[in-house]
Amino acid sequence: MAEETPVKQDRTPSDDEAGRPARKQTWQRRWRERKADLREKRITQTVRLRTTISKDLQPVTGPLAKLRAKIEEHRKWTHPLIGFLLIAVAALLPYLDDWMDLPLWVSRVTSGSALARFALFALFALGLNVVVGFAGLLDLGYVAFWALGAYTAGIATGAHSFTQARISGTEEGAEPVFAMWMWGILLLALVVAVIAGVILGSPTLRLRGDYLAIVTLGFGEIIRITANNLDGITGGPRGVRNVPHPRIEAGGINVEWGTLLDVKYYWLLLTLVVLWVIAIRLLDHSRIGRAWVAIREDEVAAAAMGVPIVKMKLAAFAIGACTAGVGGVVYAEQVGFISPPTFNVVQSILILSMVVIGGMGSIPGAIVGAAIVVLLPEMFRGLEDYRFFVFGLAIVLMMIFRPQGVLPSKRRKAELLGESQGEQLYDASHAGS
Amino acid sequence: MEFFSNFVDQFWPQTRNGLTLGSIYAMIALGYTMVYGVLQLINFAHSEVFMVSTFTTLFAYRDWFNVVAPASGVGLLVLLMGGLIPAMIFSAVLAVLIERFAYRPLRKRGAPRLSFLISAIGASFFIQYLFVLMDGQHSLIFFDLPNIAGPSPQTVPTVMETSTVFTVFDTPFSNKRVIVILAAALMLFVLDRFVRQTKMGRGIRAVAQDAEAASMMGVDINRVIVVTFAVGGLMAGAAGFLYILVLGVPAFWFIGFLPGIKAFTAAVLGGIGNIRGAMVGGLLLGLVEAYSVPLFGAEWTDVTAFVVLVLVLLFRPTGIMGEEVGS
Repeated sequence: MAEETPVKQDRTPSDDEAGRPARKQTWQRRWRERKADLREKRITQTVRLRTTISKDLQPVTGPLAKLRAKIEEHRKWTHPLIGFLLIAVAALLPYLDDWMDLPLWVSRVTSGSALARFALFALFALGLNVVVGFAGLLDLGYVAFWALGAYTAGIATGAHSFTQARISGTEEGAEPVFAMWMWGILLLALVVAVIAGVILGSPTLRLRGDYLAIVTLGFGEIIRITANNLDGITGGPRGVRNVPHPRIEAGGINVEWGTLLDVKYYWLLLTLVVLWVIAIRLLDHSRIGRAWVAIREDEVAAAAMGVPIVKMKLAAFAIGACTAGVGGVVYAEQVGFISPPTFNVVQSILILSMVVIGGMGSIPGAIVGAAIVVLLPEMFRGLEDYRFFVFGLAIVLMMIFRPQGVLPSKRRKAELLGESQGEQLYDASHAGS
Repeated sequence: MEFFSNFVDQFWPQTRNGLTLGSIYAMIALGYTMVYGVLQLINFAHSEVFMVSTFTTLFAYRDWFNVVAPASGVGLLVLLMGGLIPAMIFSAVLAVLIERFAYRPLRKRGAPRLSFLISAIGASFFIQYLFVLMDGQHSLIFFDLPNIAGPSPQTVPTVMETSTVFTVFDTPFSNKRVIVILAAALMLFVLDRFVRQTKMGRGIRAVAQDAEAASMMGVDINRVIVVTFAVGGLMAGAAGFLYILVLGVPAFWFIGFLPGIKAFTAAVLGGIGNIRGAMVGGLLLGLVEAYSVPLFGAEWTDVTAFVVLVLVLLFRPTGIMGEEVGS
């Protein structure tokens, strides 16, 4: 103690003032300024968050807002009606070209194949939106579940063994006739994808968010490389050919889906999209949906309130996975041919860009995002070399200027614009000022 | 049993290959680990920094030096430096640009972490396809893009003749491999000294420990972050140059993806945020990958690396050396 005393005295304020008064004052001033600065910033951020939320509570002005209010007031029948009208319009889009003279770029977009592609990706975007938008988990290997669905279809319909038999030429393989079983296979793929999602998710969802992103990225690659290497099971790089087209044959009904360009695929996929929108809406407004909100906004607080974090994340992951699985089956049966290079990282990121551009956590946003990403390059053919470049740029710009997306969900908008409570990177905007 | 004897037969050559590859992974991993240290963020666009370095090397040798035949002596030294230095500089510049345009606006807003990850992925995608478009046939509104990259892989001219320097356990070490291992060791040593002994290094460690406290103590956080990205870029630049030089793989727009994700695995394996851990992790992952060739076959090496990543994250997410951000 006795030895330390002089050292302590050396640091007393009086000594400092005598020795280096000027320096100490600036240090104190800086400290005070910085504290005031931080406080001020905190206040402005709170205010910004409040204004974002309160915009929805502002008085009704203008004819459009009045109409919107009227619709909201009678939402019990207006919402189903609007939904029904939208579905009807969407379903009739392929006929538009027959009824009227359309400019070339519109007729390209309303062709059956373009619309089917849009509907397929809308389905994927809806599924990924549950994972990224609702649960706040970044899944960069979404394409893996698509691949699983497609390969399930390829193997379960017997198309794979048929392809193998024809390649080896040893025996006449039976032409795959499992077309009727397509609906069973749809369920099978759903189950396979959910199981894969749970197997991947249950260990990794406990990890930090950014680790999950890279693990899923790796998982996407593992599935693709495995499909490429396991010749006996997946056909390897040659892929699977002759996946049968679906068919319904019951009673007097006989609907048969044709080749790639058949408009009926669009309607099939549109039906799936509608089913999924309804299901996801119900989920979003249920206990599970509220649990997702809680997890997204503050994971620690949610856990403290008794929300089963891992289970809820797993649910989101599994729902996303099964969506991709179902989409994969329809994809395989429409195209009739699947091979590993289709399921690369680029597709995962393309689907992510749909969710981001449309608006994370917003169901109409996911569909609009899919429309933008799929149909826009279709409109501007000749510029399609630039599309990935443009979408990459769009993702960054969206994150900077409009993180809530084109068609934001109200709650998500408030979260993304305001200061987040949970995981947040510190702000260094005034460092060194 | 057969694959085990394979493994024994190929043990030393694969150890050599693993060390070479591992040195490169270690250098890329440093970029991930340092950025993670200061920002607690995986820089997904780091693999593109690596990619740019390979293209810079290609461009330097093909268009600046017009290399047609392998050089030797002083000429070789000039060529190596002439490839390495631009590669490092361009990579560092790109890394800083990524920070400036993809991260800083989000940082200023205090955006949630998910936004950073998505923005990084977008930036990565954007840079990749920018290079795809650089085939001399595309233009962006105002100017024509130069013919540097393009969608197809581009072979880099041979700069140096391969020759055996020494042999250990009947395993010849070529001059290229020796250069890679020595260069990596040197770079890692310099970086370690930089972080531990310079003023800026102290700033980096301070920000990694507690950013707010560091800023209150007068550390310029923005400057520290820029320097961190630049240093990571320099390392990735050197790694890209060595990768192209040794493995002789053609440069192409997707070249960064696999080394990038593996280097990240290496960083996690060693303990993310831990600079020495990144070196250990890199070498270890390189070895694991090399040994998996005789064990499972060359087509499964990538899967092995990913499985290692998943296993590490499951059983020891803090890595071998532990996460010691900032120490």
